Amino acid sequence: MGDRRITDHPILDFDEGEVIHFTFDGKPMEGREGDTIASALHANGVKVLGYHFKTKRPRGFYCAIGNCSACLMIVNGKSNVRTCTEPLLPGMVVEKQLDRGVPDDV
Amino acid sequence: MSVPKSASIVIIGGGVSGCAIAWNLANRGIKDIVLLEKDTLANGSTGRCGAGIRMQWAAEKNCRLAQYSVNFFENGNEILGYERDIEFEQSGYLIVAANEKEAEQFKKNVKLQNSLGIPSVYLTPEEAREIVPLIDTSQFVAATFCQKDGHLNPFHTTDAYAKAAERLGVKIFKHTEVIGIEVKNRRIESVETTRGRIATNIVVNAAGGWSKAIGAMTGVDIPTYVQRHQIMVTEPLEPILNPMVMGFSYNIYIQQVPHGSIIMGRSDNTEPLDFRTTSGWKFVEEMTKTCSKLLPALKTANVLRQWAGHYCMTEDAQPIYGPTPGVEGMYLACGFSGHGFMLAPATAQLVSEMILGEPLTIDVSNLDVGRFERRELVFEHSVV
Repeated sequence: MGDRRITDHPILDFDEGEVIHFTFDGKPMEGREGDTIASALHANGVKVLGYHFKTKRPRGFYCAIGNCSACLMIVNGKSNVRTCTEPLLPGMVVEKQLDRGVPDDV
Repeated sequence: MSVPKSASIVIIGGGVSGCAIAWNLANRGIKDIVLLEKDTLANGSTGRCGAGIRMQWAAEKNCRLAQYSVNFFENGNEILGYERDIEFEQSGYLIVAANEKEAEQFKKNVKLQNSLGIPSVYLTPEEAREIVPLIDTSQFVAATFCQKDGHLNPFHTTDAYAKAAERLGVKIFKHTEVIGIEVKNRRIESVETTRGRIATNIVVNAAGGWSKAIGAMTGVDIPTYVQRHQIMVTEPLEPILNPMVMGFSYNIYIQQVPHGSIIMGRSDNTEPLDFRTTSGWKFVEEMTKTCSKLLPALKTANVLRQWAGHYCMTEDAQPIYGPTPGVEGMYLACGFSGHGFMLAPATAQLVSEMILGEPLTIDVSNLDVGRFERRELVFEHSVV
């Protein structure tokens, strides 16, 4: 971790926040306070966030503003979470989504 | 491309009704039929509809019209020789009764439907939940279900009719607007379009929301009006809702389409009575409330988008079929009030029979335009 993060920016300062522990497909990972789920995954070198339900092609980090659906993942058992805009929280269980998902109570 | 100088019949409107009528007439051997559409095929109510097909009606006439149409759609690909698929999925309609009064009516409806051979059944809420596990049984007192109801692809169906009609010689002109109709001695003489004049003695007004404007060109007031209806769509989900779920007093229809999206719509009498196809927040708020009450699990599904189209309404929410008094040669097939798509095969059959002076497969003589002046309205309450 660290080598994919911007540490030196001509205009913006990136304060290194507190370490946040979470898991991705069962693997323990670390993010930083202020990360979205997808930014933490990206910093950990995870480029494939899921697979398209029909074509099964890999989906990655794309629009980064919650519009494009490329980053939909299962978070704490909830499917179709837009991980590019969802803040990372301690203990989150993040999984790749392989199908269209279902609402929480189904 | 200019239009032909003359035609045996000019059909105005490239929705499913106009295309189906064109095919039906051509299939009987009628030559020189021209269909005019001011935009693209299925651009009006057809292409914006909820795509549901049902036989569960309260009025016998509607049951018969729908039954005729379902029988057609079951064999639609073969009859029309369609190389693609009209996608008729008979996944059923579950209609819920919100109160005892509605449940009593539903018992009568099922009795009538069964007497006509429509295989609907009356269910308790628990039996309904076996068909739709997501439904909250405390929200309704009874339900009816018909497995032979379902949904159909409006674009493919219109395309299937149009292609079959063209193979039989029908000339379809898109982006061709009717700008005038010449009437001489109370008889149609010609139709003026943006691509030239067509001499003809027979015109079919299947213009949906624009049927009133077409009627006005002949000096006749067709008592139809447009009303905006909105639909919204969720993100695609795994298959969780098999049949269409519908409620009249709940004012909802909701269905998961094969792609996985769940589409839902309702009626709202405060909707504008004009050609606006904008979308609004009020609809989303009310729709999501009703949906979450009846199918609570859906409350966390994300809404993806909305769209709007028009119902071509009549005072009694029933179609207008038949000739126009005072204008010989003008036949009406409009005012479908939200169920024109599902009735298209019956519409095509009946309007063709009227034009050719043949006995009617289903007696719809009381659905003539004169019923509004005579005040002999034919109400159907099973509508959303």
